[in-house]
Amino acid sequence: MDKNQFLQSFAEQFDETDPSAITMDARFKEIDEWSSMVALMIIAMVDENYNKKITGADLREANTIEQLFERINAK
Amino acid sequence: MTEKTPFSLQGKKILVTGASSGIGLNICKSVVASGGEVIGVARRTDRLSAMVKELGETRASFINADLSVDTGIEKIIAEIPEINGLVYAAGITKLSPLKFIKRQVLEEVMNVNYFSMVLLLAQITRHKKLKRNADSSIVLISSVAQQIGTKSSLLYTGSKGAMSAASRVIANELSSQKIRVNTIEPGMVQTAMASEMEDMLSSEAVEKDRKQYPLGYGTPEDVANAAIFLLSDASKWMTGQSLTLDGGRYKLLD
Repeated sequence: MDKNQFLQSFAEQFDETDPSAITMDARFKEIDEWSSMVALMIIAMVDENYNKKITGADLREANTIEQLFERINAK
Repeated sequence: MTEKTPFSLQGKKILVTGASSGIGLNICKSVVASGGEVIGVARRTDRLSAMVKELGETRASFINADLSVDTGIEKIIAEIPEINGLVYAAGITKLSPLKFIKRQVLEEVMNVNYFSMVLLLAQITRHKKLKRNADSSIVLISSVAQQIGTKSSLLYTGSKGAMSAASRVIANELSSQKIRVNTIEPGMVQTAMASEMEDMLSSEAVEKDRKQYPLGYGTPEDVANAAIFLLSDASKWMTGQSLTLDGGRYKLLD
């Protein structure tokens, strides 16, 4: 998994948030636009791009995008 | 001797698809508890055998068949006797935002939830397997989802909308034979399918949803009880209808 590619795909799931605010350190659930819908988009994006299944629990337990990336990587 | 209540299924043979779990399995149990005989259809033989063992071989039997292929439907037609009722409870769900939907997953959900329902009923009708002029009843398990527009539910909602629309056409076509067709449109019911969906959402989102049900989430038994009513002669003047069971979720507003 390429980090930059992941970050870009992650940022694409947001419509209003400036992509520059989406960094590996960002606490993604604190982004104003974060919602259950964006969460489902991230789950679908990970499935489509990496063929890996993540759940609401993975999103709950990761705080930063980096932490989520590591969780996905470990699957 | 007390007279037989119109809510009884005594003397009625009922075919139930999706019989191995959730709502379908509970309907099998309720059919037997209401005096009827059940023939359960599903793919998982171990679960079907367990169902028959629990309910007893005199009142319950099963057919191991995959509804998503024509040979599965042919097998059902070949094995069943004349029946008095049918419940289509086979179904799958998958959450996906619109932009991630691809043909393969769309076909997968439509195939089980809609195409197989239509094709099974087509063959049942063609082979005259439902008893005519005897208050036979078809019950389709749709969803309240098809009345609203929950985000990410398009795959499921579209298939259930197709099912509910089709039910009225089928009801009209079969009315001359006194075969009735109705749908049940439940809200969130606690089954393995619901847990699977909850896994994809945050626990906060699920909790928020649960609080919007004045009577709480439903149980498979709640749906089974409504199915028994629709299968029985108690509903013999009812056809082409959708029965919403949602604990007050969509009509009772704060």
